[in-house]
Amino acid sequence: MDTLYYFVLIYMVYFSFAVFFVGTGIRLVKIFRKPKQSTSLQIYPEKRPKWLWALHDTFLFPSVRKHKPILWIFLILFHACLLLLIIGHLELFSEFRIFQIIPHEVFLGKGFVGLILCLALLFFLFRRFLSPVRELSVPEDYYLLILLFLIVLFGSQMDWARRWYGYEELLVEDYRTYLLSLLTLKPELPYNVINSGHSFMLVLHVLFANLFLIFFPFSQSMHSFLSLPMNKLRRG
Amino acid sequence: MDQKTRKDLLKLFQGKLNEAMTFYLETCTRCGVCIEACHVYASMGQVRYIAAYRQEIVRRIYKKYFKARGKVWPSVGEAKELNEMALEELYEAAYSCTGCRRCMVYCPFGIDTQMIMSIAKLLLIGAHSEPEILTLLADTSIEKGKSLDIFKESFLVGIKKLEKEVVKKWEMEAGETVIPMDVEGADLLFVALAGAHSIIPTAAIFNAAGENWTLSFFEAVNFGAFAGDPARTKLILDRIVNEAKRLKVKEVCICECGTAFRVMKQLAGKQPFKVSSVTEVHARYIKEGRIKLDRSILNGVVTYHDPCQIARNGDVIDAPRYILKHLTNDFREMSPDPTYNWCCGGGGGLVALGEETLDFRMKSSKVKADQIKRAEATTVVTACENCHTQLCNLNDHYQMGTDVKFLSSMVADALVQK
Repeated sequence: MDTLYYFVLIYMVYFSFAVFFVGTGIRLVKIFRKPKQSTSLQIYPEKRPKWLWALHDTFLFPSVRKHKPILWIFLILFHACLLLLIIGHLELFSEFRIFQIIPHEVFLGKGFVGLILCLALLFFLFRRFLSPVRELSVPEDYYLLILLFLIVLFGSQMDWARRWYGYEELLVEDYRTYLLSLLTLKPELPYNVINSGHSFMLVLHVLFANLFLIFFPFSQSMHSFLSLPMNKLRRG
Repeated sequence: MDQKTRKDLLKLFQGKLNEAMTFYLETCTRCGVCIEACHVYASMGQVRYIAAYRQEIVRRIYKKYFKARGKVWPSVGEAKELNEMALEELYEAAYSCTGCRRCMVYCPFGIDTQMIMSIAKLLLIGAHSEPEILTLLADTSIEKGKSLDIFKESFLVGIKKLEKEVVKKWEMEAGETVIPMDVEGADLLFVALAGAHSIIPTAAIFNAAGENWTLSFFEAVNFGAFAGDPARTKLILDRIVNEAKRLKVKEVCICECGTAFRVMKQLAGKQPFKVSSVTEVHARYIKEGRIKLDRSILNGVVTYHDPCQIARNGDVIDAPRYILKHLTNDFREMSPDPTYNWCCGGGGGLVALGEETLDFRMKSSKVKADQIKRAEATTVVTACENCHTQLCNLNDHYQMGTDVKFLSSMVADALVQK
């Protein structure tokens, strides 16, 4: 069992991050080095400043708000919570004063960030079961949603346990020791991390996250990097 | 399909993969926001007409041959082999898409379906499965550019015959040239279509405005663009660019043809002349007081159909409305926002294919007919040859009982002789 824990929590993590960073990097460089489109792809009438409107389109999804308002609510919640999650995970490495502008306990959001994400992901998933989105979807779309759901569910479970039902075996300090050891390339697994009642959750959380990171550069998740330049093309 | 054919087709595909195209093929999340965007889907309700679905038909081939995933794990994206059946699907997708880019307005990323369909069209040409008539028409245009001298005399004779009609709309002093041709140093080169209706009204308006103009020997329409053939598109375009340079004109004015205008404006690159649509030029004459229009001629409610390639994709939105304000007191918008105007259903070469596509064009444009009916207008005005033909067809098919008119001919009819 320990071997499995070591594999998932250490070796696979390194591998996944390598694939994620190198894969995404290489793919982006390759795409951006392709010849540029020589003609305009703009939609009119135009609004100025164009770059500001491109940012607006990229981060606020105005067309979704207009045509699919309910989807838009979930999309905004989902992406906002994703951002909070990234901040939350950074705080599991060490303290960042900048994030404590609004004082909070690690992990961010009192457990609700994860809960909202779970609900949003279920919404996205069930949406895909309905025609005509069902006919548009390909397996990749389901795999990504299911993977994300599992990651968030097991991850949040650890947070909820500490917050909501007083099961405090795995502490922020334990995560910090583990994650910092990974970062400094001197990996160690503190006793609590692999021997508490929640280690199982942690391993599953990390396992699914690894799979997601490995798949990321090759999937439609790349839209997170390509949305802005594409919206810029539309705005001219 | 044999190995060699497939290899050649994939080479054509590869040639299309510039940065923007790769963005478009990599990004779609199949979120379904574009579902309501396509007039074909809105009218017919079949999933294969949803923008994202059309794109997937091309994207699946991309996933198979241009992504590592296509070899390791093809099923994850439903990657598909390029074969005869795939070509049939590509044909269906590309020639039921009018390239109006309404879906691009809906897409949260701004994916350009028309551009993705250009891959499908190019593959069809490579496989000799494109609608032959489009290539044929394109080749005729190119041939005309190569051997202008053969066509020149008969063309001049034909144009001479039109002069009488032009003078009926705007009287000229004896000795003045009614339709000037081949005038070096003219200010404006007017590129019309083959039909007299495209030349007569605008010629009268130019003369009324005292424009120093000259008529192009070539017709504006670009069948190469309809067929999705970049090489032919360029050759057809170059005929006009070269003529404009030879005559040293300051402005090239494109007649009421959406494709011609967009191709000229966006594909010609940096040139010593500026490119305008005839609508913009007419609006300018009114603004500068060079022509006066009689507002009392037109009765009833007037509405304007924005041609996709001229408005949403070409930025000529205010000019037609400005002109219409001088033609009628009773103008009514068809769509609250021109960006969201429904396509007439005739673009992308569909009208050029004529009877062959008529049934599909009528079925796929029900939403357009409904939109026009809602405007309760007596006259529907537009500024594109394709749109005009299609709107006339719709008018007959759905018995809408409206007049379908060209904006230019309405301006010509309302000219006030000083």
